[in-house]
Amino acid sequence: MSRYVQHCNGINRRDFLRVGAVGLLGIELSLPALLERQARAASPAGQQRDVSVIWIFLKGGMSTIDTFDLKPDAPSDIRGEFKSIPTRIPGVHVSEHLPKIAGQMDKLSLVRSFGHRNADHGPADHYMLTGYHPIAGFNPNLKPNNQYPSFGSVIGHKLGARSSVPPYVCLPILHASAGSAFLGPSAVPFVIESDPGAPSFSVPDLAPPMALEASRLAARRELLGQVDRYQRRAEVKANSAARSVSVFSQKAFDLMTSPEAKKAFDIAQEPEKLRDEYGRHTLGQSCLMARRLVEAGVRCVMVDHSNWDTHYDNFTILKSQLLPKFDAAIATLFRDLADRGRLDSTLVILSGEFGRTPRINKDAGRDHWSKCFTLAIGGGGIQGGRAVGTSDAWAQEPADNPYGPEDLAATLYHLLGIDPKAELRTPEGRPIALSSGGRIIRELV
Amino acid sequence: MPQEHDPTRLWPVDFLVPDLRDFGPRNFGGGFFEPALRISLALATSERLRSGQNRALPAQTASLCMKRIAGLASLVLAFELLILQSLHAREPRSFNFENDITPFLNRFGCNSSSCHGKAEGQNGFKLSVFGYDPAADHKALTMESRGRRVFPAAPEESLLLQKISGAMPHGGGTRIRAGTPEYLIVRDWIAAGTPFGHASDPRVKEIELTPTERVLPMQARQPLRVTAIYSDGRRVDVTHLAQFQSNNEVVARVDDEGWVSAADIPGQAAIMARYLSAVAVCQILVPRQESPAPFPQLPEFNFIDRFVDIKLRKLNIHPSELADDAEFLRRVYLDVIGTLPTPAEARRFLVDRRLDRRARLVDELLARPEYADYWALRWADVLRVDRQVLGHKDAYAYYSWIRKRLASNTPFDLMVRELITAEGPIEETPQANFYRLFAKPGEMASTLSQVFLGVRIACAECHHHPFDRWSQSDYYGMQAFFQPVNRKKGPAGEMLLASGKAEARNPRTGEMVRPHPLGAARPHPETDTELRRTLAAWFTAPDNPWFAKNLANRMVAHFLGRGLVEPVDDVRATNPPSNPELLDALARQVVEVDFDLKQMIRTITRSRTYQLSSQPNDTNAQDEQNYSRTLLKRLPAEVLLDAVCQTTGIGEKFAGVPAGYRAIQVWDSDVSHYFLKLFGRPVRKTACECERNAEASIAQVLHLLNSPQIHFKLTHEEGAIARLTSSCSDNVNLADELYLTFYSRFPATEERQCAEKYLAERGRDRRHAAEDLAWSLLNSLEFVFNH
Repeated sequence: MSRYVQHCNGINRRDFLRVGAVGLLGIELSLPALLERQARAASPAGQQRDVSVIWIFLKGGMSTIDTFDLKPDAPSDIRGEFKSIPTRIPGVHVSEHLPKIAGQMDKLSLVRSFGHRNADHGPADHYMLTGYHPIAGFNPNLKPNNQYPSFGSVIGHKLGARSSVPPYVCLPILHASAGSAFLGPSAVPFVIESDPGAPSFSVPDLAPPMALEASRLAARRELLGQVDRYQRRAEVKANSAARSVSVFSQKAFDLMTSPEAKKAFDIAQEPEKLRDEYGRHTLGQSCLMARRLVEAGVRCVMVDHSNWDTHYDNFTILKSQLLPKFDAAIATLFRDLADRGRLDSTLVILSGEFGRTPRINKDAGRDHWSKCFTLAIGGGGIQGGRAVGTSDAWAQEPADNPYGPEDLAATLYHLLGIDPKAELRTPEGRPIALSSGGRIIRELV
Repeated sequence: MPQEHDPTRLWPVDFLVPDLRDFGPRNFGGGFFEPALRISLALATSERLRSGQNRALPAQTASLCMKRIAGLASLVLAFELLILQSLHAREPRSFNFENDITPFLNRFGCNSSSCHGKAEGQNGFKLSVFGYDPAADHKALTMESRGRRVFPAAPEESLLLQKISGAMPHGGGTRIRAGTPEYLIVRDWIAAGTPFGHASDPRVKEIELTPTERVLPMQARQPLRVTAIYSDGRRVDVTHLAQFQSNNEVVARVDDEGWVSAADIPGQAAIMARYLSAVAVCQILVPRQESPAPFPQLPEFNFIDRFVDIKLRKLNIHPSELADDAEFLRRVYLDVIGTLPTPAEARRFLVDRRLDRRARLVDELLARPEYADYWALRWADVLRVDRQVLGHKDAYAYYSWIRKRLASNTPFDLMVRELITAEGPIEETPQANFYRLFAKPGEMASTLSQVFLGVRIACAECHHHPFDRWSQSDYYGMQAFFQPVNRKKGPAGEMLLASGKAEARNPRTGEMVRPHPLGAARPHPETDTELRRTLAAWFTAPDNPWFAKNLANRMVAHFLGRGLVEPVDDVRATNPPSNPELLDALARQVVEVDFDLKQMIRTITRSRTYQLSSQPNDTNAQDEQNYSRTLLKRLPAEVLLDAVCQTTGIGEKFAGVPAGYRAIQVWDSDVSHYFLKLFGRPVRKTACECERNAEASIAQVLHLLNSPQIHFKLTHEEGAIARLTSSCSDNVNLADELYLTFYSRFPATEERQCAEKYLAERGRDRRHAAEDLAWSLLNSLEFVFNH
């Protein structure tokens, strides 16, 4: 991204002067890169690794009492039908429907004392994906609905693109809280808008029509630059909507001409056997695509996976549909990342907006429960095989070491070498801390 | 309008002490400095303003000045307090739960919707959200949880105090520190036996927010004061317990203590204060800073310009130049009929030299069938023509009713009355389908309020509206009108009937509420017959406080790119219009023309304000709020698709409608279409205008750049580009035609040269070159925006 765009996007005059001063000293660094270098030097975790994030968002809210935090000693209307099984790590048990993940348990850890204060889908989504609880005026029906930037937007904004691929990608669709808020159009995710699990998968409209040869494409692009007079005039600066389209045009061209992107999106290059192991469904192939994107240079991939909102028939739906796919996809992702030597530089987060009620409702379902659920997290410098914190006897509340979205934010930024205490500035100049007072989950790092 | 900033006027001059009983001897220390500080900072701000320095003072001077003032203010205040305290200290304190305790639950977020105020409560402890139900809250605190929450015998041991002060683990953290005045009041209330108070106790009638309006220089700060006025006339400063919110943080923010800070952008912000269920607003106006150049002499085309100019003068912003004919032509076509002018239409208008050509053009457009198509599409969104719910036949009949009313220019009030009073066989009264969209009568009431009054009452189904005056009884009073609405299958198909008693049950209190329109004090009408007729008459009465304004505001939003109230369907006392005088004048005009929609369109399009250029000048580049220039509007999904089809000469076939239908004619928003979905067509699941999404995305840009569908249209043998390439032998001529087709204007000299050069350089490949040029035009901002 050009310096011009960053300037438009809220670096104030003083910051700009500082960039200029650095420029005078002959150091070719943009301001964000400079700050990043400083942050990285101060952060031991970020020193060796250049960490990427894959967040598998289990939209609707996964029942963690049936998956990662079983309560075999609780009454039957709490504990449910599922039995727990041992994993590779002595003392850590998971659901009988997650046998493959049990075999990879050395690679991920469970924060069983995770929770927060909002059990509504819209605001809880926003809370989990930004580390900020929404404030007055939040409209969950907007898409995006962000009042604060999502993690991916902050990562893209702070660290920039690694290669010609965008730093932040959402698939298969845009999650409503995955937007960039005041960070503006340059920090929005690229959304694939297509299901990697579909046999005919391709990213729509990424390649120009077949009939056009390269020389003509270049000529067209140059011509567009000359024709589009609004791009050159004051209207673009003065109209926020036009500014967005202008930034997106630049990004679209970057993406179209990116060899890395083209290669990453061609999921058919993967061996058939590995694709089968991930599972030939949306979640499986999305996880595989996420790995390919990270390899191509994407810094944050958000996989939006529905639907974990099991108000009815929780157990039937989990064991017959959701968990077999989840188990295969996630276990394969961890193993595959480790096989390729990328686990240390790829942080994988498994969580939805909240968990589900310990008590089973009259429809054999579980309702929303945000006070205590399990965050599963691995790679990227996280110690594997740990169970951090415990929930109380019925998994109603954390029994010790309670953690929440602010702490996840602090931990995530820390692992990426971004100072969680650093501040962003809104276009009005208002400082916003990256993590709203969160603590790094020290047991994990 | 906010009064001009008067640097010699100090504020606040009439400082009001907080409730003295809160400052008993023990509590004195904690609550003392805050008011003193408020005064001194206010004085310091005034001082700064008076000295004409709008930027920060040198730190030393400021600090010295502050110290002096603070010292003085403290002395004065301490003296005053001591005297007053001796007068009041002996008076035994009597508590009223709502007056004395609920404000803390509000201020410290205990009863917020994300904490104990949410529907299921938090951790087994539920409070009414924003404290609208003091009786239930009192019960929750004193009776539930086996009385552990409060211990009158040992108040400090109460769970309530232990939790809020952080002495015991509390999910919400420490809220009120032990020993602070707030803590001590809660403690004293518990010690007094947790009284609820008496029905005869004075209650907060309203609050006063001072100042009510203020012109602030950029980066200046202004303290606000909230005064609660009790039913016995007592006035108490409750600033420290009120909650504040700005409706435009870009212009001015407000902190928890009620300090407003202006930012660097000229404009207006409304700061809302809330205390218990009362709300009040302060208008902040931040003018542009640079020294004022004389306001340009511009003609007033009609009253709209007068009110816009008054505002712009205050803000020290100058309007842009007038748009040229080509700009006006494209803009007015897109706004009035959702359609681009054809090259022939463009040529005709561009050579027209008659003085009234712009007004004539508007008249011409209003008579075209596309007018009804486009406006039916927009009204079908908010009136929710939803095939999935209504079924194909009924949804189409409902849509056709809307379109016919618009085509015949039925007065808007009449159309609304027909809709509200619909009754009988649905086949004969297709507008009755509106009522089939809802399972609950309350939803009918809240949807009609949102669409035709711009007032959202849905919050009040469960609790008092947090930012307005609507209570549950207002909600159920509106619901009661629709309680008797039901449907019956008869020989002539389904019928919409009214039967049964017109009262709605408030599930919280069990009270049966009789019909009464919003804001009416008493049930109205007295009988159960002609209920909806009465309501429809109330809705559409010229003196209804919202109806005409709502229509005017929605039209302003459509034509000028931004409503006077934004969002357009969230009108409330705490979200005031950016230019109230203009909205009033427009509403008067609506009534004057008897709710004639076409006449209103003539009025708006005739104004100079509508006809301004989109090119900003030095003073208005940051202003997107006050109509100082034309804002760029992304073409709505359907309009953009039609524009692509029209310019390329290759149409689109939609499922379920005959070939040749344009996207703005497709009445079913559920027709599967990637382009329409990608560009934000609404799904009509709510009546919210916000469903139509104008957000841009990379995927949209990619689609226009690369998609096979667009490529197909650009390169089609029977398409416009192929046709023009063969009919225009001359490159200059070809360039002119392409510019007319896509931009509805002739190219400027350098544009023509550039295009001609491109076409000439690719001599043999002229057709390809023309496609390239067309592709560039179609992908430019000038094409995808209305400007």
